Amino acid sequence: MSTETESVELVGEDVVGNVARAALFAALTGAFAYVSFPNPISPVPVSLQVLGVFLAGIFLGPVWGGVSLAFYLAAGAAGAPVFAGGSAGFGPLVGYTAGYLWSYPIAASLIGGVVHGFDGLADPETIATGRLVLGMLVGTVVIYALGTVGFSVVQNVGLVEAFTVSALAFVPFEAVKIAAAVGVVRSDAAAAA
Amino acid sequence: MLTYRPGDSLAHRLDPRTKLLLQAAFAAAAFAHTTPRGLAAFTLLAGGFLVAGRVSPIDALRGYLPALPFLLAAPLVETVSVGFGGPKTGLAVGLDPNAAIGPLLASYRVLLILLVSAVYLRTTAVRDSRAAIQRLVPGRVGRLLGVGVALVFRFLPLLRADLRRVREASHARLGTERPLRDRMQFVASAGIRGAFGRADRLAVALRARCFAWNPTLPALRFGRVDAWGVLLAVGLAVGAFV
Repeated sequence: MSTETESVELVGEDVVGNVARAALFAALTGAFAYVSFPNPISPVPVSLQVLGVFLAGIFLGPVWGGVSLAFYLAAGAAGAPVFAGGSAGFGPLVGYTAGYLWSYPIAASLIGGVVHGFDGLADPETIATGRLVLGMLVGTVVIYALGTVGFSVVQNVGLVEAFTVSALAFVPFEAVKIAAAVGVVRSDAAAAA
Repeated sequence: MLTYRPGDSLAHRLDPRTKLLLQAAFAAAAFAHTTPRGLAAFTLLAGGFLVAGRVSPIDALRGYLPALPFLLAAPLVETVSVGFGGPKTGLAVGLDPNAAIGPLLASYRVLLILLVSAVYLRTTAVRDSRAAIQRLVPGRVGRLLGVGVALVFRFLPLLRADLRRVREASHARLGTERPLRDRMQFVASAGIRGAFGRADRLAVALRARCFAWNPTLPALRFGRVDAWGVLLAVGLAVGAFV
């Protein structure tokens, strides 16, 4: 039996609130992996994970949005069933989904950066729709670019083939998710933020 | 779903840090030697890991079922080549089965890496994983990640239940007839409200309980089996670069 005698170092007030929100958004993105809608052009259904990335960037900003998705990746690697189809583990982080998963924290930070700038958070309800859409478009491009390159490298196929298999059937639905995210920001859900 | 099951297998007795190291080294070596001979050796090794954790390969595969269509589709798509200049449509479609060999080996390599991950998931408790992450990543970044991981594990089932309730209520009221955008927005709004509500209550509770940077973590200790595990990981890592 050993006893620790170091003094307790309290976490600052602001950090506590931000950690709680970042962790809850990471869990929400994981829960979105289970919300699937039938995909008319592919046997693989459309899930809402990317919507989680968009909303983390918009509601938490460039710093904590990125931290939130880093929590998501670490929890998934540690075994929380938060990746596509409820899978988990270290494998997806280096497998064919590697590019997509690693792009999430980057995309959330970029979306936060475009929407809020880098000098403090604005109230999402006051941000112009054009700016929200631009942020999410940038995020979508980053996610699919890194995802396609990752798939191509890991699966040893060309970029066109990688895009065909891993992205083509899902890209059209990103427009719907962007529209849904704007709707969420403009709805009373945002008032809780 | 692959989740922790208590047990006393060899893999259960390994320190989680050793297991993380072994997974990373296995993946690096499998990427470096994606040849039929290399993958045959890695198949034996992955089989050894499954035996060490007493994990059935079928259970392990079932845990990664959503990955299988992508692993099959990649080699198939690579065999088809489309070019311009066909006689009727202006498009020439060619089939080259040999082009599938490289992607097929790559898919098999990913499958082996996923099987090895399954052993980790089955044999490592969440508390131990959290402690391993917090000790492997130095300083406050590691502590922050540790807290984040623990909270995601805690809140994932609650938020999933929130979303399930919303979807069931929506389905009961013919919500499925609404446009896709509205359905997504409905679920996401409810999810956000739930997440913010829970986050605010959690933050109050954490402040009330003097949330500190130095929590009490379960003790992790390297044993004799870990020495062998680390040796194997170092061997694999060196093999990846030779």
